[in-house]
Amino acid sequence: MTDAPRSANAARRARAVERAATLRGLLWIGPWLVGFAVFLLYPIVMSLIYSFTDYSILEPPVYVGLENYRDIMTKDATFGRALRNTLVYAAASIPLCTLLSIALALLLERDTRGARAVRAVVFLPTLVPVSAAAIGWMWLLNGDFGLFNAALSAIGLPRPDWLGNPRWAMTSLVIMSLWTVGGATVIYVAALRDVPTTLYEAAAIDGITRLGRAWHITLPLISPAILFNTVIALIGSLQVFAAPYVMTRGGPDFATYFYTMYVYANAFTYARMGYASALAWIQFLLILMITAAFFASVRRRVHYRV
Amino acid sequence: MLSSEISRRTLLAALVTAGAGFSVWPRKPRGRAAAPPGRVVLTYWEKWTGPEALTIQNIVDRYNAAQSRVWVQRVTVSEIREKAMLAIAGGDPPDIVGLYSYNIPNYAEAGAFIPLSEFAGRGALPEDHYAPGVWKLLTHEGRHWAGVNGCFSFAFYYNRGHFRDVGLNPDAPPRTVAELDQCAERLTRYDANGRLQQIGFLPSIPSWWPHIWPVMFGGRLFDATTNRATLTDAACVAAYEWVRSWPGRFRPETLGGIASSFEGAYHTAQDPFLSQRVSMIAQGPWMANFRRTYAPSLDFGVVPLPPIESLYDSAAPVGMLECDILAIPRGCRHPEEAYAFLRFTQSREMQELLAIGHCKPSPLREQSADFAVSHPNPFVAVHGAILNSPRAQIAPQTRVWPEFTISLENAFDAIWAGDDVRRTLGAVNRHIQQKLDRAAERREKRRGRSSLPAGAPA
Amino acid sequence: MRLTALRGLLLSLVAAAFCLPLVWMLATSLRPTETALQRSLAILPTIRSDADSGELSWFEARYWLTVAATLRDNFAAVWTSPLADFPIYFKNSLYVSLLSAIGMTLSSAIVAFGFSRLRWRGRDGLFRVLLATMMIPFAVLMAPTYLVFKQLGWIGTLVPLWAPCWFGGAFSIFLVRQFYMTIPRELDEAAMLDGCSNWGILWRMIIPLSRPVLTVVALLQFVHSWNDFVGPLIFLNHEETYTLALGLAMFQSSHGGTPWNLVMAADVIVILPVIVVFMLAQRALIEGVASGGLKE
Repeated sequence: MTDAPRSANAARRARAVERAATLRGLLWIGPWLVGFAVFLLYPIVMSLIYSFTDYSILEPPVYVGLENYRDIMTKDATFGRALRNTLVYAAASIPLCTLLSIALALLLERDTRGARAVRAVVFLPTLVPVSAAAIGWMWLLNGDFGLFNAALSAIGLPRPDWLGNPRWAMTSLVIMSLWTVGGATVIYVAALRDVPTTLYEAAAIDGITRLGRAWHITLPLISPAILFNTVIALIGSLQVFAAPYVMTRGGPDFATYFYTMYVYANAFTYARMGYASALAWIQFLLILMITAAFFASVRRRVHYRV
Repeated sequence: MLSSEISRRTLLAALVTAGAGFSVWPRKPRGRAAAPPGRVVLTYWEKWTGPEALTIQNIVDRYNAAQSRVWVQRVTVSEIREKAMLAIAGGDPPDIVGLYSYNIPNYAEAGAFIPLSEFAGRGALPEDHYAPGVWKLLTHEGRHWAGVNGCFSFAFYYNRGHFRDVGLNPDAPPRTVAELDQCAERLTRYDANGRLQQIGFLPSIPSWWPHIWPVMFGGRLFDATTNRATLTDAACVAAYEWVRSWPGRFRPETLGGIASSFEGAYHTAQDPFLSQRVSMIAQGPWMANFRRTYAPSLDFGVVPLPPIESLYDSAAPVGMLECDILAIPRGCRHPEEAYAFLRFTQSREMQELLAIGHCKPSPLREQSADFAVSHPNPFVAVHGAILNSPRAQIAPQTRVWPEFTISLENAFDAIWAGDDVRRTLGAVNRHIQQKLDRAAERREKRRGRSSLPAGAPA
Repeated sequence: MRLTALRGLLLSLVAAAFCLPLVWMLATSLRPTETALQRSLAILPTIRSDADSGELSWFEARYWLTVAATLRDNFAAVWTSPLADFPIYFKNSLYVSLLSAIGMTLSSAIVAFGFSRLRWRGRDGLFRVLLATMMIPFAVLMAPTYLVFKQLGWIGTLVPLWAPCWFGGAFSIFLVRQFYMTIPRELDEAAMLDGCSNWGILWRMIIPLSRPVLTVVALLQFVHSWNDFVGPLIFLNHEETYTLALGLAMFQSSHGGTPWNLVMAADVIVILPVIVVFMLAQRALIEGVASGGLKE
């Protein structure tokens, strides 16, 4: 008889303890919670609200329903152009960067003095400020006096007008993105180092070829790193902005006009915050969808070790 | 290993300390004189840097010396078109902002500028003070929004030495598009390796006025009365067909990256015209300034841009005008004082001082007797004639113009690269028309509501 | 043996390819304006002697003296340029980057403690939210964040560039939390028994043990803030608040052109501090980035 109230008491006390623990936990992460609410959650909600308005930031917003979204989807040619450019860039840059960084990682995996030094050299460009890199590359790709064309004409090849020609401008940006594969490379190097050598030895004993070992052992074991790098690259390249903004302003002929640039132009140059917010939300959903689709399609092929 | 680790850490710590020290260093921005105590400080945002800024600062200094109540502080702001709008929206605008005439519709329609008529009690700036074309640039929908701060038009600059070299008469520059085409062909030369040595003419420079060519073909981009974009009119199409024909006029593979590498070189010793790689170009009056700096011995001549034959009239040249403006943002701290300063800058003396410093023509109706004499630009009369010509056009006065011009610049690139003119212009026209319609419709809607209190969050 | 040679060759090729852009930028900044535009591949400039206009060779001291003089002239021209106030930009960049780095390190150290060493309901759910925020595109935040800062009265000041860092960032918190998880819990319990509070445990035990990861967080944040272009582009108004990343872009595009050798000199001024940071803390940075990718 005396047990029941005691256990109820204990339960109550346990709940109180738990509540105190939660409160204490929330207090500890308080800085982040405040920052999250003020700099992320509130802006996101407001952006959703603005996307249903006509809002020049100079005048108060006026509700227009779905009109912004309808205009974007059905009438806006620049939207289509910017979206296509962004997808093309991602589709070209991500696989190339992945291949290059895995190749580099295989080359630089060993812990020799030389490999360490080259690893540092490969990593360094990822730290260079984007605007500084962009301006440097404008110079490297200068049609008349750039390093690229000096090298090309030295070996007798034609000299494309890299950033000035609509057909080459996108290629230029993809080439430039290859310069910053250092981050992915060091992640792959770390992943490769984690592959136990015993696995390779066992496979070698079983008479499996080098290629077979790479395919059956290395690839599955570094697949989490591939997944991670690809998702980071996806999110990054679907929002690319600073480099083309500095280098081409989206030209020539909108060949390098990326999605985020159109959002920026609408928000700050054309004073159409509402329209810009709608564009941004479409981008957000697109990123979520593409990332989710990617996760779903590779999930079964990624091999996590526990 | 250990000692290097420690020394590295010491070095890093030393660097951080030095950096922290430097970052709190109370360094004054360069060229900034402190306001004397007791004066009302006016913030004036201006986009110009370098020599142009010096002339503007000169006017500011004169104003600061001329009275003892107000101190004008000029601040350099780049990307000023975006920044000014954001600052006004952000509730912290400057007292005076130096923008461009084509920004007026956007700011005026959003109520971001204070119309100057509101200050009429403090001394009006009447219409007949300005040249008629300039008055058009400063007004929008019947209201006067800004003061002028230098006005320019494009003219045709040609290298007289090159004319002589190929046996052309330097005193008879092309008057029409057809004549321009002929001269350009004679002036284009190749070296022994078949590389382009000298280019007669390129309509792709400078890249930021691609809308000048329809004007030379008798077209216009926009019809304000019906709010229609008119890029697909025959004259516009003809103008860009002409543009499209240019890259093909050079031997294959020779133009390559040359044309676009000129873009960054503009204003430097490598400027395509000043470095004598291009014999004829469309340019503004500032070229006289750059010649002094970069190519003092260059012998060039200036005439109005050649239009198609039916438009040629030596008395009333065809052309396009644009000016820098000074406006007073809504919500600024000292509007009255700002207007007093603005009015000061509009005097004939100050505008002529500015025009002489920037090598530009006077934007005012009356000129002082010695203006033309003391002007450093021997061709200022040509720009003056365009400015005062009844056939000078101005950029479309619509809120959509910023997007219009960006779209047109990119269409220009497409056409330059060989895309079909009619299709390209048609696509731009459709896109812009949709934006124009939507903007007009929403403005109408807003007007309908403006009697209601603005209760929306912002 | 042949394989080693091939490997060495490959290594040098890779190193050259990744270095070359930076080397070329630096090389351009060493050229005098008259010869800044060259079509050849020569990295070092050709210098003619004043006397007989013969070419100076690299073995002559005069050659290097001339190069050094050009270097000094170009950098002085940029540093004192009337088109851009680089000393102020530099100062602003340092100010923002240091404050951001300090704020990010402190806040991440604290928040990560709450996410790893305390047990409470909802912790893991919130942590997933934190990770998910890395997916939010900047464009969605651009306009409304501007309005938030406008309401706070921060527009036109440097505050919007560093203040948010004092509230932690997803990636840094994640990184620090991963590290905290590797510290045995028994240490906490022992400290508790000694009468230490959580706050005391954090400061006296966890933070000293976590110096490597906290250094990485500070350095990464420093570099990140130093490199930030979009933030300054949107939140700063006038030139005297510009940071280097923005001021450089404005210098390059300012009314017409600036000679390329000077633009590259400015570029070097912007890049150099990052390279110095990298030289000093290369291994920590690389390991930090690698560990961020591994322990997902």
